[in-house]
Amino acid sequence: MTDQTDHSRRNFLYVAAGGLGAVAGGAVAIPFLGSMLPAADTLAAATTEFDVSTVVEGQLVVVVWQGKPVFITNRTPELLAQLDGHDDKLKDTNSEAIEAVSAEWMDTPEKRKTRSIKPRYLVVVASCTHLGCIPLYKPTAGRADWGDSVPSDWVGGWHCPCHGSYYDLSARVVNGSPAPHNLHVMPYKYTSDSVVLIG
Amino acid sequence: MLDTIMKTKIFAWVDRRTGAEAIIKSQLTEYPAPKNLNWMWVFGAIAMLVLVLQIVTGIFLAMYYKPSAMETLGGFSVAFDSVERIMRDVNFGWLIRYTHAVGASMFFLVVYIHMGRGMYYGSYKEPRELIWIMGVVILLIMQGAAFFGYLLPWGQMSFWGATVITNLFGAIPVLGDLIGQLLMGGFSVGDPTLNRFFSLHYLFPLLLVAIVAGHIHALHTVHSNNPDGIDLDQSDPNNVVMFHPYVTMKDAFAVSLFMILYMYIVFFNPQMGGYFIEVDNYVPANNLQTPAHIAPVWYLTPWYTILRSFEVKLVGIAAMGASLAILFVYPFLDRSKVRSARYRPMYRSMVILFFIDVIVLGYCGHTATTETLKVVGQIATFYYFFFFIALLFLPRFEKTKPLPEGV
Repeated sequence: MTDQTDHSRRNFLYVAAGGLGAVAGGAVAIPFLGSMLPAADTLAAATTEFDVSTVVEGQLVVVVWQGKPVFITNRTPELLAQLDGHDDKLKDTNSEAIEAVSAEWMDTPEKRKTRSIKPRYLVVVASCTHLGCIPLYKPTAGRADWGDSVPSDWVGGWHCPCHGSYYDLSARVVNGSPAPHNLHVMPYKYTSDSVVLIG
Repeated sequence: MLDTIMKTKIFAWVDRRTGAEAIIKSQLTEYPAPKNLNWMWVFGAIAMLVLVLQIVTGIFLAMYYKPSAMETLGGFSVAFDSVERIMRDVNFGWLIRYTHAVGASMFFLVVYIHMGRGMYYGSYKEPRELIWIMGVVILLIMQGAAFFGYLLPWGQMSFWGATVITNLFGAIPVLGDLIGQLLMGGFSVGDPTLNRFFSLHYLFPLLLVAIVAGHIHALHTVHSNNPDGIDLDQSDPNNVVMFHPYVTMKDAFAVSLFMILYMYIVFFNPQMGGYFIEVDNYVPANNLQTPAHIAPVWYLTPWYTILRSFEVKLVGIAAMGASLAILFVYPFLDRSKVRSARYRPMYRSMVILFFIDVIVLGYCGHTATTETLKVVGQIATFYYFFFFIALLFLPRFEKTKPLPEGV
């Protein structure tokens, strides 16, 4: 029996059939992988409204946005004063390292320090940038209230119980913490004098 | 393609540790398939494809489905709402659910044709009795999986279908109450029932995969039957072709045609006029009200008719059980040495009539009973059993035609 096969024709058919098969396989993957993305009702619940005037002075409130915790604090002038004087101890004083820690409205050195639209009310994502735990709120400076769970030169802020990351009262990460970045800032805006729309 | 891969070093590494080359050769590239296989032989491959599709779509549905009968604020139930969420909110949820729901009907359609092929060409006969018996086990597990799956949307048909079937088992003497409670986890179909049905609905396809593997292993031991039903010298190239690429390509072509039909139904007619998804199942389950007309999905209706054909409840249940059980002994009831209906004139008429009979049974089971239909159903039920019993005596009367020497 002689080999009468036209090999170039056959190879073309192999590649054409195989290519179409790959396209079809990819097309089948779209609905299956697509179904694992957030569903329409999950996307619809993507914003959270909150009245910050309900937070009393010095208090921390945790609200839920897209299933994640968000810190909202009401910082008194005394607490805001605690933001000064330790710039050299911070990893990213001006929140410039990555996009997630910065926002368009952080356009003055003052706002880069307070990391908030209204200085008084800080709104940040409450997940430690190390591995996602929720840090504990330890606002007063020094060890008087917190014992040796905080460093001796504690400036007030957050302490993550999981792996010991420290943040100051603007949620900027302190040198020596395992966390790489400041707590993330999510998009939010004031829809009235005291109501913020998160997301 | 395959031979290029088999020449690579990586393949050689794997082969030394698994014997992959021997498996591929014995099962694919050097596995002989009769030359004269007709298109009826493609349904086994199609059935396997549908099984895989059912498992894949099912896994993705289980990511969103919630088996709970707990009432929600809307007045429905967690399970019903989660199915509606899949239909409305989950990306492509409608597509995956319809593929799964239509897939159940397609699976039975394909498997029934596959069984009919086996009956017509005598594929259940010596030496393939065990392949047939494993096939019947597959059918029973499929029916179980379909029944469990049908409860999950927690609609009216789900609820009352499950109520009827669990009561069926409850009618078994002495043990009935216990079996009913074991199935339902209570005294009526309820939240525990839904939870365990979901668990079993997930388990049964895994059993199917295992038994299908046995089904194919046994087939590859004794080799395929053929339309002439004759024994072939499997090493003679005049009789056989290699499974790969010849049969795999033919199966792939058949699969393509099948997928066109299947996807057409999924996209344009997923409920199939109430045959594939019953309209009443879009009404949330209500344990205080039964729908006006209740019938099982089409693939279970032949057995439902057999059940209804008897006045005494227990006899009807026994007959339904017997109609399935008799399939197990079918290879031993038929004593004829000739396999294919092509060379058995009497058997040929009988088996074609049997196919029509099953369709008639199915029709009767799907339609609300009338006096006439009841009698028709009873005649059809009689023939269903007569067919199997008559096989015992058939060789005495039947004059078979001479068999061909080769293909």
